[in-house]
Amino acid sequence: MLKSLLFAACLIAQQSRADTTLKLVEVLTSPERTETLQTLVKAFEMQNPGTHVEITSLAWSSAFEKFATMVSAGDTPDVVEMPDRWLSLYVKNGNLENLEPYLAQWSETKDLSDRALEIARAVDNTAYHLPYGLYLRALFYNKILFKQAGIAAPPKTMDEFRDDAKKISVLPGKSGYCLRGGPGGLNAWIMFGAAMAGNNIFFKPDGSSTLSDPGWIVGTAWMVNLYKDGLAPRDSVNWGFNEIVAGFYSGTCAMLDQDSDALIAIAERMKPDQYGVAPFPKGPSGKAYPTVGYAGWSIFKSSLHKDLDWKLVKALDDPAANLVWNKRVGALPIYKSAAQAPFYSSEQLKGWFQELSDPDEVPTLMPTNLPGFAYFADSLVVRTSQQALLGQISPADMNKQWAAYLTKAKQKQLSGK
Amino acid sequence: MTAQARPMQRRAIWRRAYWRRTAVAAEPYLYTLPSVLLLCAVMLVPLVIGLTYAFHDVRLLDPMSGEFIGLEHFRELYADPAFWNALRNTVTWTVASVTLQFGLGLILALLLNRLFPGRALVQLLVFLPWAIPSFLSGLNWAWLFNPVVGPLPYWLKALGVMAAADNLLSHPRHALWGPIIANVWWGIPFFAITLLAALQSIPADIYEAAAIDGAGPWVRFRRITLPFLAPTMAITILLRTVWIANFADLIVIMTKGGPADSTQILSSYIFTQAFQRLDFGYASAVATVLLALLLAYAMALMVLRAVLMRRS
Amino acid sequence: MELQGKWSWALHYFLLAVFVIFALFPLFWLLKVSITPNDLLYGEGVRLWPSRSTFEHYASVIAHSQFPLFFRNSVIVAATTAIFSTLLATAAGYGFSRFQFRGKYWIVGLMLVTQMFPLVMIIAPIFRLLKPLGLTNSLTGLVIVYTAFNVPFASFLMQSFFDAIPKDLEEAAMLDGANRFAAFRRIIVPLTLPGLAATLGFVFTAAWSELLFALMLNSSSATSTFPVGLLAFVSKFSVDFGQMMAAGVLALLPVCIFFVFIQRYLVQGLTAGAVKG
Repeated sequence: MLKSLLFAACLIAQQSRADTTLKLVEVLTSPERTETLQTLVKAFEMQNPGTHVEITSLAWSSAFEKFATMVSAGDTPDVVEMPDRWLSLYVKNGNLENLEPYLAQWSETKDLSDRALEIARAVDNTAYHLPYGLYLRALFYNKILFKQAGIAAPPKTMDEFRDDAKKISVLPGKSGYCLRGGPGGLNAWIMFGAAMAGNNIFFKPDGSSTLSDPGWIVGTAWMVNLYKDGLAPRDSVNWGFNEIVAGFYSGTCAMLDQDSDALIAIAERMKPDQYGVAPFPKGPSGKAYPTVGYAGWSIFKSSLHKDLDWKLVKALDDPAANLVWNKRVGALPIYKSAAQAPFYSSEQLKGWFQELSDPDEVPTLMPTNLPGFAYFADSLVVRTSQQALLGQISPADMNKQWAAYLTKAKQKQLSGK
Repeated sequence: MTAQARPMQRRAIWRRAYWRRTAVAAEPYLYTLPSVLLLCAVMLVPLVIGLTYAFHDVRLLDPMSGEFIGLEHFRELYADPAFWNALRNTVTWTVASVTLQFGLGLILALLLNRLFPGRALVQLLVFLPWAIPSFLSGLNWAWLFNPVVGPLPYWLKALGVMAAADNLLSHPRHALWGPIIANVWWGIPFFAITLLAALQSIPADIYEAAAIDGAGPWVRFRRITLPFLAPTMAITILLRTVWIANFADLIVIMTKGGPADSTQILSSYIFTQAFQRLDFGYASAVATVLLALLLAYAMALMVLRAVLMRRS
Repeated sequence: MELQGKWSWALHYFLLAVFVIFALFPLFWLLKVSITPNDLLYGEGVRLWPSRSTFEHYASVIAHSQFPLFFRNSVIVAATTAIFSTLLATAAGYGFSRFQFRGKYWIVGLMLVTQMFPLVMIIAPIFRLLKPLGLTNSLTGLVIVYTAFNVPFASFLMQSFFDAIPKDLEEAAMLDGANRFAAFRRIIVPLTLPGLAATLGFVFTAAWSELLFALMLNSSSATSTFPVGLLAFVSKFSVDFGQMMAAGVLALLPVCIFFVFIQRYLVQGLTAGAVKG
């Protein structure tokens, strides 16, 4: 009787000593992705007995507001998925743990590509997150519409792009370009603007914005003209993500610029002989500037189990896990060794790897670490670009407003440091 | 015994009467207290906190923010053209939605007030729109208005309302009508069912008596129906106006405030300021102005109602 | 009987048909999308009925998602909120209708003001209020918040129904020796059954389809309600319309059942008036 009591007591003591719960929050949620996450997490739990990971999946459309409300009320997780746009906000708020000491001791750090390290250190030149992938823009095009319009190959330059769009727009009920005039359209404006300007420098050394320079204005005017000349559907002035893909899937517009993660959704809805992926068309300078976004995993400073958190991050993001993860997520890998993986030489993904290996395709990081960037991208740009498309203001006016806002924000950032 | 008992008896009677009077005086409070307690506990404190943001520089996730800045936000607001634009749109949005919802809801309630075979089924069917969550309803209507996947643009063109089969939601001047139509679809059941319940409470013999006296249908409607409906009408219109003024879900989902802010209303503007510009202080200032305007409207309505009731 | 016989009935049915079609068409579209297979969703979007229909979306929602759990949570929260709100509102509405007391207009004002402030601004304070009480991530917390938010409207609604009943009814009963509460319970309340039914119906539906608080206050899927579940179909680069519409159609069933249940009381008016008036 005494022995069994002692035995039970030992068991209970052991349990309470070893049982730790880690809170993991994912934000770019989709049901299939959550399954993959759960698989990786289960493997981690088996490797670390006594650890339990509680996954909270936030719906992406409201993830920012929800997570911000939780954090400001003190409901913080241990590990969180950190998109590029949120990084500087949470770093400045003092929430994120500096990962440099962990990286310094990790064997796989040298396998991280230079771009991955650059991205990891995007804020304050310190690694506050371990990126898991890059989202690079490329051009999706509708092979059937191209054939109908008599176009042999996807456009390589902006002039070809415009010509192709014109040929397709002549077909009844069809348009050349799926223009994203509503929220989220900033990337396209930047890509076309930079291509025309011949560079992707956002700020001069004194912190003033380059967006009001003549080259950039030519670029945005070029895009406004696409709309005004009827090469994009009339409704596209207010098109958001749902509408541009609806237009692309239904064959209403022939060309779409999107990231590699859109490939998964597109592949589900269209057959491989209906669409293709090409590198972004180059401007008169012979260069193109596809935008690149990223996301990664961060550890919260308030966590009580930082070493265990780092183990979890490694389990989610080491070369083996990263491959599994990116196959599901559709982002491009961060490890140099991944480029050899057979998965990445498929027909559809070739477009992106072509981009990555072409020196004239210059992946462009947006200034997401600028405080106030979210308002710029989601509100100011949307309003002013719609006004420009509708002819209420001129492209030069629009660029000037953008430059004024960015200059103010950048100079505030430079002086605040 | 009797000489001493009488003052004691008198005191006892007095005490009983005192408790009786207190109980009677306390009655209304007892009826309303549970609600008031719940409201104070759950909503009053957060409301007051939310209002104080308007006078402080409160920024989301910024540990340096929070200092008191007095009326600074209100001065900024006064000079902000986006605010005035949103205010104008809010008036259009609210007036159009409430008028159409009320008018059509009243007609439907009158129709349902007559007994006919299948009434129960019809009642259920017309109530269904209210049961759809607003965000699903917004997505559904956005889908219907999109010429790529929906039939409405083609029908509108066939009816001659639109020149080409375009998306109403992308039209810079008329985009607001898309969410208004969706809002009317969603809100008619509210007025219909509430007014129907009120109509059902009117005793049938009053109508019969009036009919015997020779009153025609329009006279009966004006003299019997409207006065009986008046209290319900007043409160439903007041509440619905307040709710709609604050209701940005449909707009955010269908047009996101665009194109070019032509469908931005105060409520969606507040959301933008709070979660995109991360400026909770300014957002709260705009919310405070909206609150003040709605309070003024409520008081005006109450005064109007009191005047009308005194006259009749 | 009242109007010109046949013509009035023809107009009556015609108008009803218009209303029913207007109410049902978007719902029909919901249904149509829910049975359209994914590959035809965009290509055949404009057709009134897809060339090929499928029940796979319903199967996914019922068998492979957490929707049964979400529905259960929604039913619990909505029904509880409806009952509590109606109880509190009947009492408060009666108080407003029958009494003039000090502080009445302050209380009415308080109730009105709570409806006028955008919820977005008070989410964060409410979250901070409920978290230390352990009421975040719980169905109880939701019921409390929903009841608080619905009580003002429900009270005013009940007040307007009580206003329509003459005060002498309970005065007569009280003269006969009953106390006010008994008179209230036995005489007044049965007369306002249509009002009670309407209030129950509205609070139930409001709580059923509420999204903002359910989204912000609860994070775990064990305590999520069905509108939150719908939102999960909207991911970064696709909206799973088929499944979302299927879930939407399924969600109409509990509301229909609840409404059928209260409908009997909603249209009791004619007989009630004749007997008691």
